[in-house]
Amino acid sequence: MAERTVQQIITQLKGNPKLPYDQASQLLSKAKLALLQLKALTPTAGAPPNLLALARDVYEHGALASIRARNPDAFTRYVSQLQPFYELPATQLKPNPDARNKVTGLYLLLLLTQGRYDIFHSELEGLSTQLGNDGIEADRYLGYPIKLERWLMEGSYDRVWKAMKKGEVPSEEYGVFSQILTSQIRSEIASSSERAYPSLPLSSTKSLLFLESEGAVVEFARQRGWVIRDGQIYFPAAEAEDAEEKDISQMVIENTLGYARELETIV
Amino acid sequence: MPGKTPQRNGKEPVENGIRKNKTKDVEMTDDKSSLKGKGKGQPKKGTKEGEDMTVVVPPSKNTKQSSAPPPADADGDVAMDESDKPDDLEVKVDPVTQAITGTWNPLDDRHDDDKARSGSVAMPSSKSSIIHPPYGSTSLHHHALALLLTALATDIKSNFALLDRAVALFDARFSLRALRSISSLRKRLTPDILAQVVSESWPASSPSANVAKQLLAAVGKESTPLGRQPGPEMEIDSEPKAPAKNGKKEKEARDPIPEIDIFLGILAQVHLFDSKQYQQGARFSKYLTDRIQSLNRRTLDSLSAKVYFYYSLFCEQLAPLPPSPQSPIVSIRPTLLAALRTAVLRKDVDTQATVIVLLLRSYLLTSHISQADLLVSHTQFPENAANNQVARFLYYLGRIRAIQLRYTEAHEHLTAATRKAPASSCALGFSQTATKLLLVVELLMGDIPERSTFRQANMEQALHPYFLLVQAVRVGNLEDFETNIADHAETFRRDGTYSLILRLRQNVIKTGIRMMSLSYSRISLRDICIRLHLGSEESAEYIVAKAIRDGVIEATLDRERGFMKSKEVGDVYATREPGEAFHDRIRACLALHDESVKAMRFPMNQHRLELKNAQEAREREREMAKEIQEGDLDEDDLGGDFEGM
Repeated sequence: MAERTVQQIITQLKGNPKLPYDQASQLLSKAKLALLQLKALTPTAGAPPNLLALARDVYEHGALASIRARNPDAFTRYVSQLQPFYELPATQLKPNPDARNKVTGLYLLLLLTQGRYDIFHSELEGLSTQLGNDGIEADRYLGYPIKLERWLMEGSYDRVWKAMKKGEVPSEEYGVFSQILTSQIRSEIASSSERAYPSLPLSSTKSLLFLESEGAVVEFARQRGWVIRDGQIYFPAAEAEDAEEKDISQMVIENTLGYARELETIV
Repeated sequence: MPGKTPQRNGKEPVENGIRKNKTKDVEMTDDKSSLKGKGKGQPKKGTKEGEDMTVVVPPSKNTKQSSAPPPADADGDVAMDESDKPDDLEVKVDPVTQAITGTWNPLDDRHDDDKARSGSVAMPSSKSSIIHPPYGSTSLHHHALALLLTALATDIKSNFALLDRAVALFDARFSLRALRSISSLRKRLTPDILAQVVSESWPASSPSANVAKQLLAAVGKESTPLGRQPGPEMEIDSEPKAPAKNGKKEKEARDPIPEIDIFLGILAQVHLFDSKQYQQGARFSKYLTDRIQSLNRRTLDSLSAKVYFYYSLFCEQLAPLPPSPQSPIVSIRPTLLAALRTAVLRKDVDTQATVIVLLLRSYLLTSHISQADLLVSHTQFPENAANNQVARFLYYLGRIRAIQLRYTEAHEHLTAATRKAPASSCALGFSQTATKLLLVVELLMGDIPERSTFRQANMEQALHPYFLLVQAVRVGNLEDFETNIADHAETFRRDGTYSLILRLRQNVIKTGIRMMSLSYSRISLRDICIRLHLGSEESAEYIVAKAIRDGVIEATLDRERGFMKSKEVGDVYATREPGEAFHDRIRACLALHDESVKAMRFPMNQHRLELKNAQEAREREREMAKEIQEGDLDEDDLGGDFEGM
């Protein structure tokens, strides 16, 4: 009975992925209640494989729905619920690598946009022992965030930009992150430009920052506090030199006093 | 004759054991030297010999006892006794020793024996009876083997004394010493020996016979009866033995302490591990851990650490092997965590350290990095843990931090780990692994490891792929770097450094840019792009801009004309850099001083002894005062001046 309900919900979710989030989440909570009745909310030792597969499907749909609704917290929750299912041996639960990699890839991308590189790499380490390095990078879903991370670290922002264009993204859910990533790399570029260029012509800044018009450039420059003069952008110079000087003498005094104290205890 | 029986009975097993243990290694040479010296010694002794012989026959029971000490050495310095004992016993023992050595080296021995026979006329019958059996039987070799086995059994048993003492004095150092002897026993262990020791240690009608049975079952010798008397030579000279045997029986009526049975359990574990019986080993280890938990004795702490260590090691070897989440090491985690909890509550430093390290290892094997990180953040690694455990812990910690991109911390931990690793070649594997990881982390931090690291004789081979890697990174040659990764991918994957090395790509690029910035005062982005094999000029521009922001190079970009212009290199000594380096060094020295002070050891309860002495002194004083007072009372005429004192 309950099992049928779950199956129905899954087909319903599968049938129309464009379902608004509040309707989808209603269906999902119904499904979760049914799973609870079946005692399959979390994988237990003796659970039958078909129920486990059902539960996994529910969570995967939930994860995708929450990404579409741009709800990272709900998504993270679904991912952590999925984790034990993914660790089950193939004999107990037949793996569905396509859906799994999709969700995992999205999770990696989320971590990337949130700047949580430590967790990103921890996850990656786990994946690479499970699937092997070549397997990960060759995969459409998993390879994407990994490539993005490498380019971001390297500084090849133009490649990141290209990868986010339509058609390059492995699935529509990945497109959700494009906007976040765009603003992220834009601020990265801006902060490196501040240090690297003495001044920039307005016209070429447009392409540098991947902005559509010069008006957008002016707007952006205003936000960052840049000065625009005669079609050139000037960056406010960093004024931290003086404070640092003082710091040094302070530090030397503190250190020396520290040595004196230590020496006293020794002698 | 008269001295013999009391000596045997009076001797505490403790001293006996220690003696044996200590002389173990010297034994052979001692015998040899006595043989040599014998040529001269023999004729002089002449008539006395017969008498002497009978006195010393008991030792013949096994080789070690030839140097057995008089009973009066209870807690004395063993090492010292050992050095002078053989000397004064040598002369007396000669014939016996010779008889025994005879079995070692037939050629030498026959020769010597002839000499002995011609030398001493009054050869006692007991002696010839010792010598003859081996000669008569063709299986001379077998007898030698049997003796060897007895020697080993004695070696094992010698550790019992240490354990006894550890319990009596409540000092873990003795248990640790017993544990340390495992490595020397390890190579010689066989099921027969273990069975023999077990059967000799437990009386037949022991209440804890069940424990012994489990031990025997573990080594596949279930049928061995308990309560066997030690020493196969028993039958040979049983006649003068009789009283001694009785004495022994009395002593053995009591059960061995639990420490001894756990120690034997560890030996069984070691044996099972060395003979690759992992399944059996895991089962036995499970039983052993259960038993330790039920015993709940503080003196077992350092032993239990070892038991858990082997337990986890067994599970690691069982199919499915670690990277799989179904590996048995995953299923024993609850046990280990429970053990950790208990160990923390009981302030059991050894088990704490061992179990934390085991858990970390287990998490890292299945790549559960975040769990490992949580474990580290929720536990406190005991400060005064054994050095080896600290080294392991630091290594795992360094690994976790490296994966999490916290390179500075990783570098710190890994440096400490490589320094704490034992200098001898016994832990070469550990040093190599830690060094490999350290090299990669150094590269990731943008440093270039020192050339001398790769020159160490015992590392050169293992580090070669890393050497090539460092070369590529140092020059900033992306092409070499990529081919090197492709060539040695297998090695890097086996070392678990592959994913870290993949991150190095950006460092190679950075170094490349840096080299270029140092060599050219002005270079076009196009040239940079070509030299570093970057995708496009645009990429090159972004990358260089990022490098400038990250402080890798001091330069500016000109967008209109498309070139990078390097700034003049500033004077390092005008910055705070030298001051910081100086401060770091001083801090290291001070920390070293603090640690050395902390490492000094003060014997436990020493102050109580002093207190006791002081109290005795006070009592004596009081008595004296009393006497004086009484004396005063007796001799009133002396006056009362004393009372003032």
